[in-house]
Amino acid sequence: MAVMRELLAYRELMVTLAWKNILVRYKQAYLGLSWAVLKPLLMMLIFSVVKAFVGIETGGMPYPILAFAALMPWIFFQESASEGVNSVVGNASLIRKIYFPREIFPITATLTKLAELFISFFILAGLMIFYQVAPTWQVVWVPLIIFYTLIVSLVFSLVGSAINVYYRDVGVAIPVLLQIAMYISPVIYPLALVQSRLLEDQAAGSLSEMLYFIYTLNPLAGIIDAFQRTMLYGQSPDLSSLWPGMLVTVVLLPISYRFFKAAETRFADVI
Amino acid sequence: MSIITIEHLTKEFRLGQLQGLGGSIRHQLGRLAGRRAPPPPMFRALDDVSFTIEAGEVVGIIGHNGAGKSTLLKLISNITAPSAGRIRIAGRVAPLIEVGAGFVPELTGRENVYLNGAILGLSRREVDRQFDDIVEFAEMAPFIDTPVKRYSSGMKVKLAFAVATSVEAEILIVDEVLAVGDLAFQRKCFDRMESFIKHRGHTVLLVSHNIRQVVRMCDRVMMLDQGRVVADGEPLQVAERFYAQSNKKIQDHQLDAARLNGKVRSSGEIDLLEVGLVDAAGVAIDQVRSGDPLRVRVRLELNQALPDPEIVVGTHTTDFFYLTAGSTATLEHPPQLRLGVNEIDCLIPSFPMVAGTYCVRLAVFDGSGRMVLAGETLAVFQVTPPADEAHRPPLRNLHLPTAWVVNEQSFEERG
Repeated sequence: MAVMRELLAYRELMVTLAWKNILVRYKQAYLGLSWAVLKPLLMMLIFSVVKAFVGIETGGMPYPILAFAALMPWIFFQESASEGVNSVVGNASLIRKIYFPREIFPITATLTKLAELFISFFILAGLMIFYQVAPTWQVVWVPLIIFYTLIVSLVFSLVGSAINVYYRDVGVAIPVLLQIAMYISPVIYPLALVQSRLLEDQAAGSLSEMLYFIYTLNPLAGIIDAFQRTMLYGQSPDLSSLWPGMLVTVVLLPISYRFFKAAETRFADVI
Repeated sequence: MSIITIEHLTKEFRLGQLQGLGGSIRHQLGRLAGRRAPPPPMFRALDDVSFTIEAGEVVGIIGHNGAGKSTLLKLISNITAPSAGRIRIAGRVAPLIEVGAGFVPELTGRENVYLNGAILGLSRREVDRQFDDIVEFAEMAPFIDTPVKRYSSGMKVKLAFAVATSVEAEILIVDEVLAVGDLAFQRKCFDRMESFIKHRGHTVLLVSHNIRQVVRMCDRVMMLDQGRVVADGEPLQVAERFYAQSNKKIQDHQLDAARLNGKVRSSGEIDLLEVGLVDAAGVAIDQVRSGDPLRVRVRLELNQALPDPEIVVGTHTTDFFYLTAGSTATLEHPPQLRLGVNEIDCLIPSFPMVAGTYCVRLAVFDGSGRMVLAGETLAVFQVTPPADEAHRPPLRNLHLPTAWVVNEQSFEERG
């Protein structure tokens, strides 16, 4: 509670810093903010090309829009995690000169990405019109899903950014780790495919149920599925694929926050 | 209730490089296995410091580089955590440490004013309200929408200073921010700081190497040395002590360097036995107060007769800028030297140089003007500041007495 109150007191600083991040990023870029949507669009195109070769079961939904709806939460997570991990080290000059709660840096990194995610929604809307996919009232879940994604990336970047101050190895390792994480999340393929392979076909024999549980321990599995369901299919989120990841997040959030706060006291000496 | 209470504050830094991940893991494994690794060498930046500051006090902190001033400010502004001891602060702290730390080169001056304001804890509305003031003070109106990366370093500092001093907080921490911009702007900054301090009743902690400024602005001055508070009290007295320590340090350093440069060229007719300063009683000294008499004593041994010699004794700075020179040729009856040892004193009734390190040079010519002996940096001495140094204007090299006539009334300097 005290944590929330302190963060509230610094909300203006966070907003200003996020605004700065966006300004700085696109200031001298001719294409400006459109870069934010170019990344998911290009990846969607590549995925669509790949899909034409390997064939992925999409259950009637056009693949490009399915891929785009998976890429939106995924890229939001991936970018805010990698920015978050580097955010403390990247602001070394400020950390050495002035005090405010250091978690502001990873939080601000996430907020910045939130703005870019917002722009992607316009593209998604365009795709939905093009493919004539109508949204239902289930989209009211979307803000909650995004908030959950935000918390997940925060858990990740709090720990990562704190270690990164002491050992820069983390900053180098993160892109590789996130690349791997993309393949074990339902980004290229839908979660339904994993479900049908493991739960219906029992592809791994008696271990199948166990493997599916482990798969859904990754919060992104539930998040991406829930995002696609609520945005495209007009269904409510699937709790059975969400809860293992949520459990992991709820357990890890306080731990990662304490870890960050403990490491924080020596940031200025070490950075 | 004091606004700042510091109790037994100690801050240590680990010396040397941070271990890599591998080294760190090995170290932890070694500890698990019961092996005790040698503790890393520590540097004690602050050593058991305790003091309190009352609300409304303006406290200057002085000391040499590495005395622990900045570490102390960082601890008070919560940037770093103490190794031991406690800090209690009752109020909001606004650190003006190194202005412009948060400037982003890509953004325009206007955007940076808002950003820096937010970093220093100003709300957007507060910045809105003070924006025109800030820009006007910084004299930056024509450039405010230009990216800061195109600013000159002076422009950056001016703008940063203007933003920093618009902060409202109970406790202000100021670290060397006054030395910014050209002389005219420095003056402006100084006035702004002074009005900031004197009229708003803030508690201020000021770190500066400009001792005169500190003495002028503060009610109380603390002197740090090697992490300890060695003096705390009335500004002039502490400043005096600082000068004394400072000079000692410079002297030790410069004497060594200068002595290496001392060289005598001699034709062999005269041997130089000794050059040095003596006081009125003839006791050897190595420092004089600015404006006091300077007496240089030279001892020469003549190996053969040298009729009608000319002796020149002069002073110069450590970088060989010649200052004074006195010659026996200007005397009404020039002295003669005898065979064997001669003792010669050259006396300047009032040595006018400001505090610093100076050297003695000597030359001896024979009756026809041929140089017999010459040397520079033959003795090195220290000039200490006069007792009322803090009241003296800073920009001068010579310490000459002045008298004033205002509206036909004469005024003399203090005794």
